[in-house]
Amino acid sequence: MLSKVLSFGLSGIEGFATQIETDIVGGLPHFEIVGLGDTSVKEAKERVKSAIRNSGFEYPAKHYTINLAPADVKKEGPHFDLGIAVGILAASEQIVKKSYKEFIFLGELSLDGSVKKVKGVLPMLISARSLGFNKIVLPKENVEEARFITGLDIFAFDSLRAVVEFLNEELVEMPLPLETRSFEEVCVKRENKLDFENVKGQAVAKRALEIAAAGGHNVLMIGPPGSGKSMLAKCFSGILPDLTFEEALEVTKIHSVAGVLDLKKGIISERPFRTPHHTATTISLTGGGAHSKPGEISLAHNGVLYLDEFPEYSRQLIETLRQPLEDGVITVARANQTITYPSCFTLVASMNPCPCGNYGSKDRECKCSPVQIHKYLGKISGPIMDRIDIQVEVDNIAYSDLHTDKKEECSSSIKMRVDKARAVQLDRFSGSKTFSNSKMSVAQTKKYCTLSKECQLLMEQAFTNLKLSARAHDRILRVARTIADLEDEKDILPQHLAEAISYRGLDRKYWSV
Amino acid sequence: MTDKEKFIVYMSICELPNKKQELFLEALEDFSLQSVIKSKIIETNLTREEYHRFISNYDIRTFETALSNMEKACIEILTVESEKYPQKLFNLPDRPLVLYAKGDLSLLNEKAIAVVGTRSPSNYGKVVTEKFVGSLATAGFVIVSGLCYGVDEIAHKKTLEVGGKTIAVVGSGFNNIYPSINTNLSKEIAEKGLLLSEYPPSFVAKRYTFPRRNRIVAGLSDGVLITEAGKKSGTVHTKEYALEYGKDIFAVPGGIFSDKSELTNELIKTAQAECTLSADEIIDFYGMKRLANKKTVEVSFDEQTILSILSDGEKDVDFLAEKSNIPINILNSCLTTLEIRGLIRRLPAKTYSLI
Repeated sequence: MLSKVLSFGLSGIEGFATQIETDIVGGLPHFEIVGLGDTSVKEAKERVKSAIRNSGFEYPAKHYTINLAPADVKKEGPHFDLGIAVGILAASEQIVKKSYKEFIFLGELSLDGSVKKVKGVLPMLISARSLGFNKIVLPKENVEEARFITGLDIFAFDSLRAVVEFLNEELVEMPLPLETRSFEEVCVKRENKLDFENVKGQAVAKRALEIAAAGGHNVLMIGPPGSGKSMLAKCFSGILPDLTFEEALEVTKIHSVAGVLDLKKGIISERPFRTPHHTATTISLTGGGAHSKPGEISLAHNGVLYLDEFPEYSRQLIETLRQPLEDGVITVARANQTITYPSCFTLVASMNPCPCGNYGSKDRECKCSPVQIHKYLGKISGPIMDRIDIQVEVDNIAYSDLHTDKKEECSSSIKMRVDKARAVQLDRFSGSKTFSNSKMSVAQTKKYCTLSKECQLLMEQAFTNLKLSARAHDRILRVARTIADLEDEKDILPQHLAEAISYRGLDRKYWSV
Repeated sequence: MTDKEKFIVYMSICELPNKKQELFLEALEDFSLQSVIKSKIIETNLTREEYHRFISNYDIRTFETALSNMEKACIEILTVESEKYPQKLFNLPDRPLVLYAKGDLSLLNEKAIAVVGTRSPSNYGKVVTEKFVGSLATAGFVIVSGLCYGVDEIAHKKTLEVGGKTIAVVGSGFNNIYPSINTNLSKEIAEKGLLLSEYPPSFVAKRYTFPRRNRIVAGLSDGVLITEAGKKSGTVHTKEYALEYGKDIFAVPGGIFSDKSELTNELIKTAQAECTLSADEIIDFYGMKRLANKKTVEVSFDEQTILSILSDGEKDVDFLAEKSNIPINILNSCLTTLEIRGLIRRLPAKTYSLI
């Protein structure tokens, strides 16, 4: 007998429909899975065999051929187990009703016949919906993740026996499709986050981070050790605008594929904040590898990638950031496949001004030679520096400042301004693929960042007197646009431009001497 | 003895002590090159090290190309016998016997001030150097320095910025500028000023060539200005030479706790150097003409507040924000405009100071 059962496979973070064809014929007992499955797919043979027997079904000793179509696409993961088991039971006529053909089956089988959680449920469901499928069977453990998708009839089970009884309509009480959950429900108040309220002083750095959050600009913080760079970066995620549902789905998709999703929560409702250590390998950052998995920069999608001690990362690793910083995606090409993962993140990097960290410090002496300083700064290549809009210096704060009672502004009030500025931008870019000022194309920069006569004069003077490099020009315009948005001004005024110029510290001549 | 032969000798002996160089050249008057080399090496009692230095530079095979390359690169060779050899150096006891020069030779005879100091100046040292050099160069002095890091580099750059004339005396050959970061600066100086060395172009700098070239820096100038230098600084050599040659020494005082001002303060205390508080004092000393005072510029109220806080010394932005009560966005933009207008100066670690 022949049966055809539907399941889904994953390529990058997109799902594709897979048909599991099972043919059982007489002859010597044999079991073969074809259709470019990896080891975990091939091993399904043993799991399925035991699961069927231990669930109280028969497993006749016959010749089994399983084909995963399309046969030319690589398939990974144990989530085909359930589909294969249902296929065998259908082909051996233990599932009598034909309704199984309408369902998509996802789930890993345990030897005792229970159905276990799988990775990548969310992206597969989203693809399934867009391809017009609407009935899904999946493991109970993946329920929370699946409930955010509307327009699907989802049934969750924890054992193979329950699935078969459901398909044969033998259950006393037929389960109803799961109720969907709204996104707002899970977006509970953020708590226990570091707050800018607790950071004393550092007015310049705070302002720079506010602008960065408002316009999605990349930031580089330069300062001596212990000046609070990491603290500022951690507070940064607290002033970022909230995730929209669409953004949250995208983020969750990536985390689901990577298998790092919190299954109890089911969806990621806060912007991710990823802090890979500087010993990280290039693959762990970009993604890919033998079992293609999204890397740190994709996990930081729609959030923040924080690289502490920036020059300590390997040169190759820093250079791989170029494509994602420019295009918002990373393309991982390997011998057997090419995968594109989204990776649209805000880069927050921090570094010391020199190897000993005290260059330019008022109270501690720098012990580095000019060559050392030059080499240290040279580790960050021009093209990467070119993609960082805001460079801000952070300095140690005096002891007396630590113990003042002066009230610092809290994150939530900064966030209100950021949200307002983001709203202005979304309104401006509605209909285009841009979401923030930092991602403006050249044409958009030209259109939205027009300068008055007065501003042009200022820009010209700035370039000649301050020796700015040419690459800074567009960056300054975009940052000036964000500053104007924060103040709800329609045009860029001279003071906005002047402030934007002040965040281009490293382009300036004084740094090297 | 032909000029060519002489040239090989000049190239070969560049690393020997002056006395031994002279002995070599005297012998050349009477004998042929080969015999001189053979006999003189023994006669002048070269140490083992000196002998190796001589032999490593003595290479007949490469000198022809070296000579034509120098011609192509417009490098002039000034020997003590040539007319163009600078008068200021001619009577020095340890004058260089040969100089390689690229650029405007007329600068050698003008009023010159050597500006020297530490390789890693503090913010104070940077501001002092820029300010003094700016005024001196505009007043018409030729600024002489050593093209090293720090004060040297600032002195050259500032001079070029204000359109003044500068001479860089390097401790290496022109093709191996040390530090290599300053290679482009050396090219600019060769175009707009004068690049000078006592070593042939392919010579790679060695430790001892730096203190040695300081005698040329001191010798070429009428006065030596030390803006900021510690006790271990190479500037000590320049000062010694300047004292020996009877040049005027000007020193800018610094903080008594600062390591980097130890030498200058010491010189002032022991009256070896003139305590100099402004460039105008040097300009007056040599009877040159001061430049006209800067025009007063109009500033806004906020900007005036910032300027008055800065009049107390360099301050960082956070301090300014607290003291002036100006919101940080306005403050940042004021600072940039003030900087563009040349009223203040930005230093590392978000610090600003008056110009």
